[in-house]
Formats: sequence, C-alpha cells, structure tokens
Amino acid sequence: MRYNAIFAALIAATLLAGCNQSSNKESADGGGKKLVIGATMLSMQNEFIVNVSDAMEAKAKEMGVELITVDAERSALKQVEQVESFIGQGVDAIIMNPCEVEASSPAIKLAMDAKIPIINVNSETSAKPTAFVGSDDTESARIAMRYIAEKLGGKGNVLMMHGFMGQAAQIRRDNGAKEILKANPGLKLLAEQTGEWDRAKGMSLTENWIQSYGDKINAIFAQNDEMGMGAVKALEAAGLKGKVLVVSVDAIPDALQAVKKGTLDATVFQNAKEQGGKAIETAVKAAKKEAFEKDVLIPFQLVTKENVGNFLK
Amino acid sequence: MNRFSKFGQYGIFLAFALICLVLALSTPKFFTISNLLIIGNQVSINALLAFGVTFVIITGGIDLSLGSMVAVTGVAAASFAHPDTYPLVVPLLVGLGAGSAMGAFNGLVITKSKVPPFIVTLGTMTIGRGLALILSKGRPVSNLSDEFNFIGGGNIAGIPFPIIILLIAFAVCSVVLNKTILGRYMYAVGGNEPAARASGIRVSRVKMWVYTICGLLSALGGILLTSRITTGQPNAGAGFELDAIAAAIIGGTSTSGGTGTMTGTLIGALLIGVISNSLDLLNVTSYYQQVVMGVIIIGAVVLDGVGKKD
Amino acid sequence: MSDYILRVKGISKSFSGVKALDNIHFDLKKGEVHALMGENGAGKSTFMKILIGLVVPDSGEVLLEGENLSGSHVTETLKKGISMIHQEILIIPELTVAQNIFLGREREVSGKGGILSGWLNDSEINRQAAALLDRMGVNIAPKAKMKHLSVAQMQMVEIAKAISNNAKVIIMDEPTSAISEKEVATLFQIIRDLKAQGVSIIYISHKMDEIFQISDTITVLRDGKYIGTKRAAELDQNALIAMMVGREIDQMFPEATQPVGHELLSVKNLGRAGKFANITFNVKSGEILGLAGLMGAGRTEIARAIFGLDHWDEGEISIKQTPIRARTPREAIDRGIGYVSEDRKGLGFIPRMSVKDNITLSSMNNHRKGGFINTHSEQSVTEQMIADLKIKTAGTGQHVTYLSGGNQQKVVIGRVLLASPEIIMLDEPTRGVDVGAKFEIYKLIRSLADRGMAIIMISSELPEILGLSDRILVLSKGKQTALLSKAEATQELIMRYAVA
Repeated sequence: MRYNAIFAALIAATLLAGCNQSSNKESADGGGKKLVIGATMLSMQNEFIVNVSDAMEAKAKEMGVELITVDAERSALKQVEQVESFIGQGVDAIIMNPCEVEASSPAIKLAMDAKIPIINVNSETSAKPTAFVGSDDTESARIAMRYIAEKLGGKGNVLMMHGFMGQAAQIRRDNGAKEILKANPGLKLLAEQTGEWDRAKGMSLTENWIQSYGDKINAIFAQNDEMGMGAVKALEAAGLKGKVLVVSVDAIPDALQAVKKGTLDATVFQNAKEQGGKAIETAVKAAKKEAFEKDVLIPFQLVTKENVGNFLK
Repeated sequence: MNRFSKFGQYGIFLAFALICLVLALSTPKFFTISNLLIIGNQVSINALLAFGVTFVIITGGIDLSLGSMVAVTGVAAASFAHPDTYPLVVPLLVGLGAGSAMGAFNGLVITKSKVPPFIVTLGTMTIGRGLALILSKGRPVSNLSDEFNFIGGGNIAGIPFPIIILLIAFAVCSVVLNKTILGRYMYAVGGNEPAARASGIRVSRVKMWVYTICGLLSALGGILLTSRITTGQPNAGAGFELDAIAAAIIGGTSTSGGTGTMTGTLIGALLIGVISNSLDLLNVTSYYQQVVMGVIIIGAVVLDGVGKKD
Repeated sequence: MSDYILRVKGISKSFSGVKALDNIHFDLKKGEVHALMGENGAGKSTFMKILIGLVVPDSGEVLLEGENLSGSHVTETLKKGISMIHQEILIIPELTVAQNIFLGREREVSGKGGILSGWLNDSEINRQAAALLDRMGVNIAPKAKMKHLSVAQMQMVEIAKAISNNAKVIIMDEPTSAISEKEVATLFQIIRDLKAQGVSIIYISHKMDEIFQISDTITVLRDGKYIGTKRAAELDQNALIAMMVGREIDQMFPEATQPVGHELLSVKNLGRAGKFANITFNVKSGEILGLAGLMGAGRTEIARAIFGLDHWDEGEISIKQTPIRARTPREAIDRGIGYVSEDRKGLGFIPRMSVKDNITLSSMNNHRKGGFINTHSEQSVTEQMIADLKIKTAGTGQHVTYLSGGNQQKVVIGRVLLASPEIIMLDEPTRGVDVGAKFEIYKLIRSLADRGMAIIMISSELPEILGLSDRILVLSKGKQTALLSKAEATQELIMRYAVA
C-alpha cells in the first residue's frame, strides 16, 4: 500500500515536471542539428518573469532553437537541481534567471565545469556566469527617485515602500533611492517600511501612513508597481491622490494603464522583451562559439503620461 | 481552576482592551474615527476567513487551503468582472460558487477517505494555487468594473463597505453557531466525535457543511480582496490561512475542537489588525510585528490550556 | 500483627472553603489488604493524593513507619515506599515492558558508574525485569512493547514497577474496572503473594463481592468524614452499604409491576466474523433481558451491531417483525433503538457541552423551528428530564464534566430517552457509579420496562444481572451458551455457561 502511494507520487511528480516544460519542437529550419537551450526561471507566478520567458520563447522560435523552460518556484535548491538535469541532458546552453545571489551560484560552477555556457538573465549571482543579460536594479531606483526630486523641486517629504527585505532587488533599489536622497538634502525620508512586493499590503501600509503623516506626505516611492498600485488606491480613497506623487518600478500593464489615467505618476520600464530576446541571442552565440558580449545591459526607461503610449500595446 | 478558566474566556477581551489603551496613549493617531475605520477595513478579509476556519476548528478539523481559495475565487470572479460584460451578480456567483465547491471538495475527501484534514487541505492548498495560476495564466486579471470595485473600495454613509460585509457575516455566523441545530452539532462533533455519532448525528454531513461554509467565506474574502486591489491575483492570499487560524486561536477556539465563539474570533482578528496598524503608525519594522504576533498566539494557547486543566 | 506500617492522624483538607476531608484517621497494618470504601465524592481520591504526596493536607499527619511524611513530594513518598496503581494506567505505549518498569531509574539499574553512567544497559534492564515478572508468576515478555499488552497485563507491569520500587504500601484504585474475571483471579493471587511478603495494600473498589473476597479490613468514608473501620469478617454487604450511604437500602432491585407484552426486537442467527456468531434472542415490551459473559464474549459487539455502529455479516434483526439494518446510529435511533454505551467518556457524553445540550442532542428535531433551535422547548424538556431522573446538577447550563459518574450516566440515559426509544440497550450502566446512584439507576431501568420498553442490559456484575433481569442470555467467546429464566439462574450457573 505504502509503496503504491510513493509510486503514485513519483509518477505524479514526473507528470507535473513534464507540464512545466514547454518544449518548442516545431520548425527546425532545415539541416544541421537543432540547438537545445535549457532555461530555469525564478518564478512563473511573477508577471514580469512570465513576460521575459515569453520573449525568450518567441525569440527561440524565431531563431529555430529548442527551448526547455522550467520553473524554479523561488527555490535556489530546485534551481541547482534543474541545472544539473540540463547538464545531464547535454543541452547546448543554459539560461538561468537566478533565485538567489549566493544560493544559486553553485549552478554556475556546475555548468562551467561541464563546459556548457550559462547565461544569467534579469538578476545576478555571486559566481560569474558566461554572460549576463539584464538591467541594473540600482539604476531603476535612481531614475524613479530623480523624477521625484525633480517634480518636488528638490524639497519635500518622501515615503519608501520596500520589497521583501534582504532580496537582491530590494537591496539595490534601496541603495539607488538612498543615493539620490543623499544628493538632495531637501528631500526628507519620513518613513520606510516593507510592503513585501504585495498590492494589498502596500495599500494597508499607505492607509496607515496617511493616518500617521496625513498632509505632510509629498511623495511615495514604491519599489515595485504592485505596491505602488496599492498606494494609489489608498490615496484615492483618502482623497489625497492629487497631492501626493507616486512612483514605482517595473511598468506592468496595470501600472501603464494607471500612468495613462494619471493616477500613477510614473513607473520605470524594465524591458522584459529585450532581456528575454538578448538572453536567447547570447546563449545561441555562446553555444556556437561565436563572439558575444559578456555584459548585456538593457537600459531602463522612465514612463510618464507623456510617453506611456509607446509602452502600451 | 475556575478563576483561570474565566480568565481564559474573558482574558482575550481584557488583553485587547489593554493593548488598545496602551496604543491610544502612545500615539494620538490611533484612537481616531478614521483610523478605526481603516483598521476595520484592513481586518475584514482576515476576519471573514477566520470565521470560516472557526467553524472548522470547532468540529476538530483544520483548513489550510483558505489562502489558495482566496486566490482561486478572486481570479475566477475577476475574470467575469470586466466592465460592460456581465452583470455584477455573475462574478459574485462565480466566486462564491468556486469557493463553496472547493470547500465541499475538502469536506468530501475528508469524510470519505478518513485522511486527516491537515493533510487533505494541505493538498487542496497546493491544488488551489495551481488552479489560480491556470485560470489566470500566471498574470493578474485587471480592468474590473466600477460596481465590482465598489465591494472592496466603496463607502456607505462614510463606512467602508467591507466593514458592512464583515458585520453582516459576523451576525450570520454567530447565529449559525449559536442558534441553529447545525451549530449545536458542530460543537458536538468537535467535543467528542464518537459520542456525537452515537447520539445520532450524521457527522459526515456536519463536516461537509462546515468545510463548504469555510470555502464560501473564503470566497467572500477573495472577492473582497480582488475588489480592494482591483485585480484578481493568482498569488494573492499566500499565508492568509495562518493569520486566520491565529485569529481563531487567539480568540479562544481550542485546536482540540469543541469550543470557540465568533466574538472571540472577531476580537482575535481585530487584535492582529490593531497590532499591525499601530506598529505601522509607530513606524516599527515588520520584523517586530511578527515577534509580537507569535508571542500573542502562544500566550492565547497557554491561557486556553490553563483553562482546560482540572 | 499489631505493628502499623502507616498511620494517618486527623487529616483535614479544604478546597476553596469546601471541606473535602475532615479529621480522617486511618491505620494500615503490615501485610494486610485494607479496603477504602465510600461513594464518589466521599473524599477517597483526595485522601489517596495526600498519601502519595500530590496534595498537602491543611492539618494532621501521615506517618510511615513512624516517620512523618506529610508535605513530602511524590518522588519522595515513592522512594520511601508508597506506590499507587492508578485506575487509568500511566504507561508509555511505545516503550517495552522492561523500559516502563524501570522508567526514570535506568541509571541505578544499569549499574555503571563514572563516565558510563549516562549509558543505557538494556540487557541488564531486561534481565532484572524478567526476574521480577517471573517472581510474580506472570507470563509477560520484558521486551514486548506496552501497547501490545492487554489492560490486565499492563496492570501487572505497574505492580511489578511498584515492587521494584521496594514498595511497602501499594494503593490500588479500581484495579478491576477494566479486566476480565479470569484476570481478576490472577490479580488476587498476586495480592495474596504480596501480603505474604509483608506488603500492605490499600484497595479501592466499588465492587462489593471483590471487597469481601480480598480485604481484611474495611474503612468507610462519607462526605469527607471518617465513618468507621471494621474487620471484613464482621460486616456483610447490607451493613457495608448502610455505612456508606448512611441509611438502609431495603431492596436493591425493584420488582416488575407490569406484565411482559409483545415482542419488540428479535435477532436471528446474527453473526460477525471474528466477533460473534449465531446469536438468536428476542426482547418483549416490559422485559429486561440481561446479557452476561466475560470480557470479550461479544456482548458489546452485538449491541454495537444492532445500533448501527458496526456492520454485521449474517442473520437478521427485526423490530416488530420488520427487518432493519441500521448503517448509522441515526437510522437505529429513528427506528426506536437507544444505546447507552459502556464507554461513557468515549461514546457517551460530550464533556465541553452543557447538561441541556447533551440531553437534547439526539432529539434536536423536536426543537426545530425552521433551521433554528427552539430554546424554550429545549429548556423545558431538559428541566423535566432533570427532575424525572433526579440528576444532581447546578443547572441546565452546567458542563457535564463537572457531574459525578452517576449523574453523567443519567444525562446519557436522558439523551437516549428523549429520542423516544422502544428498545434500550444499556451497556454496563452502573460502571464507575457509586452505590446510592446505582440503586436509582436500577429503579429507573425497571420503571422504563414498566412503561413498556424492551430493555437489554449488558453487565459484568452478576448480582446486578441476577437481580434485575427477567431472562438472561449468557455468551462465551462470541457464542450464545444459555438463555436462562430468572427462576433458574444462579451465579454459579451463569459462570459455568460464561466459561463454556
């Protein structure tokens, strides 16, 4: 009985793993062996990552390579195991969207030892991969905070909403924002608190801030759009939206809509499409032993009401 | 012993009053109408889930799938709540229906398979998370109609609509628990299941009801959350089950079953809400909030244990 | 013989103003079995707790071989030589017999010193346990896990533990409440051996016949007061009951006042694999059918099958000539069957619910107003039942846990009665119930029969079976061995068929 159950669980696990792998077997453009690239993504529950993954998928199709995508579900351990199995399958290149700076690093070493090129996309690991494709999170916060400084004329009270404390993105965005605050002594950081990347939490936090600081708030910087959207909701409910500047990062569709409506003042566009596409391009070049750039930095772009049309599909 | 059990019963009210007093003294912003309304608003979703899980815990069970049900029902409702598509009742019925169905599924598996509720609902927790992602294809479902967004964001005479829903749900749940035969049977099943069965109670039927009601209330919470943040998010509600269970336990519901009140649970939910609100007001980092919450949960269970001793 | 090992002088103890014990004297001789008698609430358990050091008395002293023990902690009294075999046996099921016997004393037994003193020496522990059990003449493997033992065997292990502690005084609290007659005989043999070795036993039991069989001396407490100490030979059952209850009970078992009517329940060739087979009997309106037999004879299993708690494989059950196969208790209740379980805590009442909520639990449909509860009718029905059954409770809202055993039993009977049954099965209805309440339950059972119900009473107490039943069905190892009329039944005859 018990063995049956374990057996069933194993089969189920295998099936589930199978579901996760969206293979791309169509249209090999004639002749030659088709390249196989394995990709392990941080989390397919995150909209931005899904967008990157979709861009990779599209690019792979275009270039006629086979792409195997798996979801690490935010577990670095799982990610390392996935890279191990890619190596076992003998893929030609690996793309990793790292879960953690340190804990995902062993995967880099494994791939290097197996002489398979490994490309980090979107975020970094402490071990140096074959190539990095992504954007510098510090820069995104600088752009956002600079916009706030400019709009407030270098003077005013700012609140900052952090992501999950201790994650690479949170630390970088914190650093970038603080850099600009330092350069603008007229800006005062009234309070900072984590909203855990979550819209409902960001909303609650803003409601509580409104209680505490009321009219004194001039601007809110949220480290991602989800929390920023929550802040907008809370400010609207309190009738303060017109008075408080809200800026966040990521440019998810919801945020773009809000910028268009004028409820969110600005967001910072991180180019998922470019990141995904460039990652595939770099991986293919590395696999074919052609020349490639070691650090592909995709620039951020500030999105405001003026230019939002360029980003809306 | 009497002294302690009385304290166990009323201790939560005392503790709550005391904490509110301390907060009112430490920040003038705490005890204002607008802040109290905000707390009520923030507490509403957790309280709805906590009411549901109180029924379940009273019968001696547990439901870990609350958070996932919030996500599934939220996404399901949002999918039918785009402007100018369906009338408002459609997303509401879809959401509530999905929640009840998931709850009934929990009940069915628990009563038919005799697998402990902890394990069954651990399974549905994961299943639900997957369903939410499948339904939404991994992306938030946004662009919802104004009527739908009123549920979580609107006011009636200055009172946020979620608070009104909360109060109605509280009244209904209290009546179900105290004034109906079903409520009586819940206490009996949790107090001594074999004796309840021997008394002629159809235990499976009671459990089916309880898990279905829990699913329904989770759906209400899911709709409220979706409407409040104006998107159906597949990863919403993660960890909500723990807050809800904590509220029930702080409110004096015994995890061994057979005791618990809706009033206690409401106070438990308020206590959690008040603490997180006031620590934000005082600009204390959320790390400390978690420590405080943990201490309160253990304290509540210790009190409960003291009350039970002979 | 006049050397007292234990002397208790003028012990008093109050709990929050209520006197639980009032100036109690108790003298225990070396090598005697001294029974402590009294109804529930007489103060026996408080007295025992004082002896073993769980409760500190307000005044008075406990002298063990002349040494004042009052105020000593449990671990000290245990070391000094007072052990207690609790009614609910305290064991660790996953450990072995030997490990349980020497639990907490592994260091002494292992016999290693210095750096090795923290190491277990299991073979030594097993050897000593084997020797001990051997000396007691019981056949239990020291390496067996406790959870695989029967209740009686666990008790033997507890006694072995007491002996290994060099106990001079062993207190036994209701030691026969959960073991079979045959096992009782073994237990009594061990008690006699212990006596011969000079160990003194304080024996607590509700079972009169046992008391007279085993004890040398009897002390009676009533309402926390010392009533008297007599040699067992000087007393008979009635005199003892009079001491305990404080009045004479002229007739323990009430006679039938109504003639027996038509058949209500009939069971034909009922069988369940491994439990019972070929059971055939009927019960008529106004009749009490006694079900006698040893533990494990299948009596409870038959009742459970009729009530829909267990399934059955073959045969037929009919109520008034209509076949019934209840799959759940609800169906049985709806067809007019009531069952009062032997396992009052497990299958009887719901401890955290009030007297009212327990009593109406099987008949909530009578108080249905829409989906809501009609509290008024519920309240009045409960008050009526409390009066009818003379349930001693602080009110309808009192939690059942706080009632005495007899009153808890009445609450369960009340619940069954409110579902208006025609057939009632009572399984060990007076287990753990004190003498006064027993008598009331007997009267109640007879009056139910007189009101036209058919009663099946399962009991391990032969006097009860003989006194109350109109007919007696005797079972042995799942088979029915005799169906005796009241006139022909005797204690010896029943026992003969019960072991057949």
